[in-house]
Amino acid sequence: MTPGLASLALLAEFPFESVYVRSIIFVSLYVSIIAVVLSTLVSVPIALVVGFTDIPGKRFIKSVINTGMGFPSVVVGLLVLFAVSNQGPLGPLELVFTKEAMIMSQFVLATPAITAVSLAAVTSVEENVRDAARSLGGTRLDVALVVIKEARYGIATAILAGFGRAISEVGSVLIVGGNIAGSEGVSKTRTLTTAIQLEARQGRYETAMVLGGVLVAIVLLVNAIVVRLGDDKVMG
Amino acid sequence: MLRADSVSLAYGDETVVDDLTLSVDSGEVVAVIGPSGVGKTTLLRLLSLSLEPDSGRVTFDDTDVWAVDEDERLALRRRVGMVFQEASLFDASVARNVEYGLRIRRQWRERFREQLRSVVRLNGTADAVEDALEVVGMTEKIDQDARSLSGGEAQRVSFARALAYDPDVLLLDEPTSDLDPRNTAVIESAIETARNSGIGVVVATHDMNQAERIADRVAVLLDSDLTEVGPAKAVFESPEDERTRKFISGELVY
Ligand SMILES: Nc1ncnc2c1ncn2[C@@H]1O[C@H](COP(=O)(O)OP(=O)(O)OP(=O)(O)O)[C@@H](O)[C@H]1O
Ligand SMILES: [Mg+2]
Repeated sequence: MTPGLASLALLAEFPFESVYVRSIIFVSLYVSIIAVVLSTLVSVPIALVVGFTDIPGKRFIKSVINTGMGFPSVVVGLLVLFAVSNQGPLGPLELVFTKEAMIMSQFVLATPAITAVSLAAVTSVEENVRDAARSLGGTRLDVALVVIKEARYGIATAILAGFGRAISEVGSVLIVGGNIAGSEGVSKTRTLTTAIQLEARQGRYETAMVLGGVLVAIVLLVNAIVVRLGDDKVMG
Repeated sequence: MLRADSVSLAYGDETVVDDLTLSVDSGEVVAVIGPSGVGKTTLLRLLSLSLEPDSGRVTFDDTDVWAVDEDERLALRRRVGMVFQEASLFDASVARNVEYGLRIRRQWRERFREQLRSVVRLNGTADAVEDALEVVGMTEKIDQDARSLSGGEAQRVSFARALAYDPDVLLLDEPTSDLDPRNTAVIESAIETARNSGIGVVVATHDMNQAERIADRVAVLLDSDLTEVGPAKAVFESPEDERTRKFISGELVY
């Protein structure tokens, strides 16, 4: 059998119905989706404000965004872990090794990237179009909504990039989440990525490969959805 | 009705509009002519209440537009329609474009409901949208993607978009400068229709023949100042100002 067919056969035999696998996929999606949704809710308004208003400190915000994009994710994980640890400011919330802590670090990682790409997208919207919205009687909010609609493809790309980064992230989720699965094999904070590295380390390459396949499939699927969204102009 | 009264405006050090007075009444067409870069667009932006003059007043039915609060100014702004010199249609269908002015004037709850319906394509087209498209002969393209229109068609849709919410004043910034004769004729007849329905129209143009064809009054803008304002015939046949005379006869080249 060729390697391609072999992995296909593997996929077919893979115990997708197993609680272990399903719960890992769930944790991965749950953490990444919530983090990316929260990031988007913060990033798009920041992009609009930085792009179109003359607030003081714009250059500072831009340099924070740029620095944030290149920030090592393990360090982000470390900082979040410290923040939620007993000595940290969020200690009383007892978030060490929880999904919430993972969402926090994913949020910190995704936000600069989503903001930067959204900023590029909204500032590429023609001034004429903004003027038109205003001159037709639009309020500032109406103009902002028009800009978001015009930039929807770019913003969707930003969200995709953020989601891709979040769901593929290993270092920080390992640090703040701890890669925990319960006694019945139900993942608590084990994601596709941390499961893959564990399975691989323990020599269960086939499981690791298939989990890798699932991860790639998710990323490709999201990509396809975004491309379709851009084509259909659903929002227009 | 709408009046700029001794308005001045500078971009940095460069004074573009200097102590200029111009008004437009219901049911009249005022053409602003002048060479490129003289400040026609700037004057229209002042009249569209989107640019505040450095000095002077802009009044709408005797209300000082820049002395009232923002809500009241928005209400006045919403009585003005503007068609821009450059393409400015939204990346959506022709119908959605023309509908825009109507849509943003509705309550948020209604707008939200419409948004949901439009996703599942349940919305019909408002009569006002079809009427406005009828004026510019574009009803057949109602479902077309606005970004795929030709330049002339886009300009006609822009006109319909500004007309759809029934403004009291319509400002047109060189609406036919890039158009062929047929599209130009359509726009000129649409201006006529708007005038006959009681709308006050201000049209910036560098085409003197057009000004003569469509305008009740002509305002000549030279050197950041209106050198001559009056009935089209008088301005073109017996201008009082020396610079106007030279500009019209083509002696004054900018
Ligand atoms: N936002 C701006 N900032 C700085 N200068 C500007 C701005 N807008 C216009 N100007 C300048 O003001 C002058 C008048 O511009 P305006 O666009 O009003 O001219 P116009 O009469 O409409 O020209 P055209 O016939 O080419 O459209 C020009 O010299 C232009 O460079
Ligand atoms: Mg102009």
